[in-house]
Amino acid sequence: MVVMIGLANGMISQMINNGTGLVTGQIQIHSPQYLPDRSVYETLGSHPNDVESLLGIIERDPAVIAAAPRVFGGGLVSSGAATFPAILMGIDPAREVEVSRIAVMKEGRLPLTGSNEIALGSTLMDWLETNLNDELVLVAPAADGSLGNDLFTVVGIMESGIPEIDGSYVLLPIDVLQSLIALQPMRIHEIVAHIDDPWDAQLATDRISIELQRDGYAVDVAAWTSLRPELREYAQLASGTQWILAVIVFSMAIFGVANTMIMATFERRREFALMLALGAAPSGIIRSVLSEAFALGLLSLAAGVVLTFPILVWWHHFPLDLSAVFGGFEIVGTFVKPVLKTEYPWAMIFFTAFALLLTVVTAALYPAVRAARLAPADVLTGR
Amino acid sequence: MSYTSPAGNFDMPRLLKFVVATIACACFAAPSAQGQTAREIVDRVDQLLRGRSSTGSIRMDIVTEHWSRTLEMRIWSLGTEYSLIRLTAPVRDAGMTTLKAGDDIWNYLPRVDRAIRVPPSLMGSSWMGSHFTNDDLVKESRIIDDYDIEIAFEGLRNGVEVWEFVLTPKPEAAVVWGSIVEEVRQNDMMPLWANYYDEDGNLARTITFSNFTMMGDRLVPALMTVQPVDKPEESTSISYEDLQFDIDITEDFFSLRQLRGGS
Amino acid sequence: MNGRVRLLTSLAWRNVRRQARRSSLTAAAMIVGLALLMFSRSLAEGAHEDWIDAGVRLGSGHISVQSPEFRDRATIEHRISPRQIEQIQEALSADIIAAEVTATAPRITVRGLASSAAGARPVVIMGVDPELESAFSNLGDKLAEGRYLQPGDRLHAYIGTALASRLRLRLGSRLVLTAQDADGEITGQLARVAGIFESGIPTVDEGLIHIPLTTAQEWLAAEGELTTFAIVLRSSKSVASTFESIVSRLANSSGLSVLSWHETMPELDGAVRVDDFGDMIFHGILLSIVALAIVNTVLMSVLYRVREFGVLRALGLSQVQTGSVVFIEGLILTISSGFAGMILGISLTMLFFHDGLDFSFLFDSELTMAGIVIDPIIIPTFTTSLILNSVAFITLIGVLSSFYPALHAARVDIAESMKFEA
Repeated sequence: MVVMIGLANGMISQMINNGTGLVTGQIQIHSPQYLPDRSVYETLGSHPNDVESLLGIIERDPAVIAAAPRVFGGGLVSSGAATFPAILMGIDPAREVEVSRIAVMKEGRLPLTGSNEIALGSTLMDWLETNLNDELVLVAPAADGSLGNDLFTVVGIMESGIPEIDGSYVLLPIDVLQSLIALQPMRIHEIVAHIDDPWDAQLATDRISIELQRDGYAVDVAAWTSLRPELREYAQLASGTQWILAVIVFSMAIFGVANTMIMATFERRREFALMLALGAAPSGIIRSVLSEAFALGLLSLAAGVVLTFPILVWWHHFPLDLSAVFGGFEIVGTFVKPVLKTEYPWAMIFFTAFALLLTVVTAALYPAVRAARLAPADVLTGR
Repeated sequence: MSYTSPAGNFDMPRLLKFVVATIACACFAAPSAQGQTAREIVDRVDQLLRGRSSTGSIRMDIVTEHWSRTLEMRIWSLGTEYSLIRLTAPVRDAGMTTLKAGDDIWNYLPRVDRAIRVPPSLMGSSWMGSHFTNDDLVKESRIIDDYDIEIAFEGLRNGVEVWEFVLTPKPEAAVVWGSIVEEVRQNDMMPLWANYYDEDGNLARTITFSNFTMMGDRLVPALMTVQPVDKPEESTSISYEDLQFDIDITEDFFSLRQLRGGS
Repeated sequence: MNGRVRLLTSLAWRNVRRQARRSSLTAAAMIVGLALLMFSRSLAEGAHEDWIDAGVRLGSGHISVQSPEFRDRATIEHRISPRQIEQIQEALSADIIAAEVTATAPRITVRGLASSAAGARPVVIMGVDPELESAFSNLGDKLAEGRYLQPGDRLHAYIGTALASRLRLRLGSRLVLTAQDADGEITGQLARVAGIFESGIPTVDEGLIHIPLTTAQEWLAAEGELTTFAIVLRSSKSVASTFESIVSRLANSSGLSVLSWHETMPELDGAVRVDDFGDMIFHGILLSIVALAIVNTVLMSVLYRVREFGVLRALGLSQVQTGSVVFIEGLILTISSGFAGMILGISLTMLFFHDGLDFSFLFDSELTMAGIVIDPIIIPTFTTSLILNSVAFITLIGVLSSFYPALHAARVDIAESMKFEA
């Protein structure tokens, strides 16, 4: 019977799968006309302090962990003989690492603020046949119609696994990009906010939107669910599938528990018969069987939680990295590293606990009723 | 020499293949008006802007929604295969040079002292932020190869004897326009304007020619203005300050060495 | 000895029958477990097969043959000559390969520019054989307007909805394609829009154009030549073996490289593998629950039957024999319920086999993943090997989980057990 602990354990372990979280859990703030054309002229910020105060307001939201400003420009990156079109992304290195994985370098480091340094995708590096510490030319049409161009040193290589990013993104310090494309330092294109639970994004978006409006900023705040509808669909599919799997495993487990309870109770017919013969009331037997079952259920639950909780916690803090086994892969244009990370599925735990208790008790009910109706003589004589 | 902006901003209206042929080389054949077919006249106007070799100074005024600027440049050309364009103003961009040799386009950036090759995939993007594309620089086809030509009007208009030609693309010609309507002055065969229509007959852009001036030994329209119809506030105009034809220049001139330094 | 075994078997069999309720409860756990296992495995296999099929048909097939440099550079410089095409076709005509191949697509793929009076966009232009391609690619099924290319087409183009709207193109509109040809010259080609598709994949809808192969060859000065020869197989299962045979048959024709979809579509490959791993975990959990149920019921029945075993021992059965009775009981249960579970599993799967399972209630419309569009209807795929190894697995678990109770029964102390529950 101790085995039931294992059952509960197994069920909760299943929920660990819930933890394969999404990588893109973000909120973006733009000028209302910025998307979808990403015109270089549609900027946030018209006073020198705007960007700072926007960031402040956004980071004040309880769900937001960090926020980072970005500037985008289209341009060319060239080693001389080889030239490729690129998306130039200006970042604040200190803030960017907090919000996105693009800032995680495969080799080298992020460009430093104020210096002519760049980091590029590994595919772009291959095409340009260039290495760390080499010099490359960036050419970009500037906001004033001139043609910004300058020499940059490659200090970092990024590898996201997504061809579009590895083959076209160039990261450089936000201030350097602003001067390259003749954009005033207070003008940026995007603020990205990182929040813990991607499903909270819409709520946080609404809150931030209201906050910003109150402070008189006419900006667009969008959650990843509306920025990347296909990703949302995928997430829905994944959680849908997971739900189906959970139901299957769950019903299997419930079935096992019910099975065990029914059998256990039947095996004790003799005992019940004896109690009946000794004058116990049938209702008393039912009650005793049920409370026994209930106690048992509680006990196994406690044991299940004790056994599973450390696994949950451990897995949450030290996600299982399977990238060695699988390499990276891409889903709906989002790079997912095969790392299994557990989130705490509280709702699921309570639901499970409740369902388990209910099952145990219900499963015990039938044999208990049967037991209560026994003819003690028949049972005791071995029939 | 200006390139793609991120994502959507890529298709800056590409205008005027016609005029770039003009920058590349301009030359004028003396008019001999009588008894020519429409085809011959249009070809003559087209070829009026081509020659064996040329050099000249050009001013380019570009007006876009967000900025306007004036570029000054010196050009050299040889046939349709070679051309070299060097910016002389504004100061910030002076020295930037574009070399076209055959199908290759190179850009020299004095600020970083590097020459970079423009890849074929970028031929469609805008040159120097203007309403021209890199592709316009390498295009060599003749109008009469691609279009069937008819005279739609012949006679007096605004006090000038003109022809109005309608150019319809040949069934398999690789051109995007639905039709081009062009007006040419009869007395000296100077083009006055050309309207470019899409397939639905909507006007897409217009070019107007003016300031007919003697340059070198020829009469040329010294000012041309391109106007995209969907963005009426934008335009690019080109004016010739001086032009010389059949100069003494060889293919060696159009080299990477010349691109980098030179006069 | 033989008689002994028969005796033990009949003892066990009688036990199973006499305790019908207990037996059926244990059996039920296994039956349901096995049925679910088989069903979910066929569903997963079916889903993966769908993904792969959709992916490779839009891409360059399960297997593709191209010039070795083409993969990295993707320029028309690196082509397959008519002679090499002959060699490829000859290799494919071998019985062992031909039996697996369901479609082939000769293609010329170049990057270029598509322009209209409204603007220009960078695109990938694919010259395809209309007839072969419509059997190969699923792009023809994504038709939004007009029609797919047909044999005899010349200046026709099949473009995506996003490209059409950006360049303001309608059916019949002029479209000028510009690209570098085989001689390095930049050349233009006129085409008219014959059909517009909507694949649901943004990059494809915005940047892929199909034109007739012959037109592309003429335009790009690559008469009779290709850049890619793509092959779709009957099933992704036969990729490995067919790949090997193609490679060995093309070993002595130089300048050709054979690639499998694992290499040409690494993202899809990764997605399938990760999903496989997820399924493995899920099935592991399912199996361990089944195993627990079996251990649990068999063990419990043993605990309550201590007296019975005591009697058996007292009647002269050895420890091994007593254990065997229990073990055989477990075996009988396992085998019979395994069989029942298999039938239930197959019929459950069969139920969905023809129409497929419609998952569209889970998401709004079509879904793209790893650059392919996933059809919300999943048709479970099941193979004999899948059935056999599910059954084998669950039988193994049945056997293993009967082992411990058997051991327990064998250790029963005669005297103690007789006292029990007096």
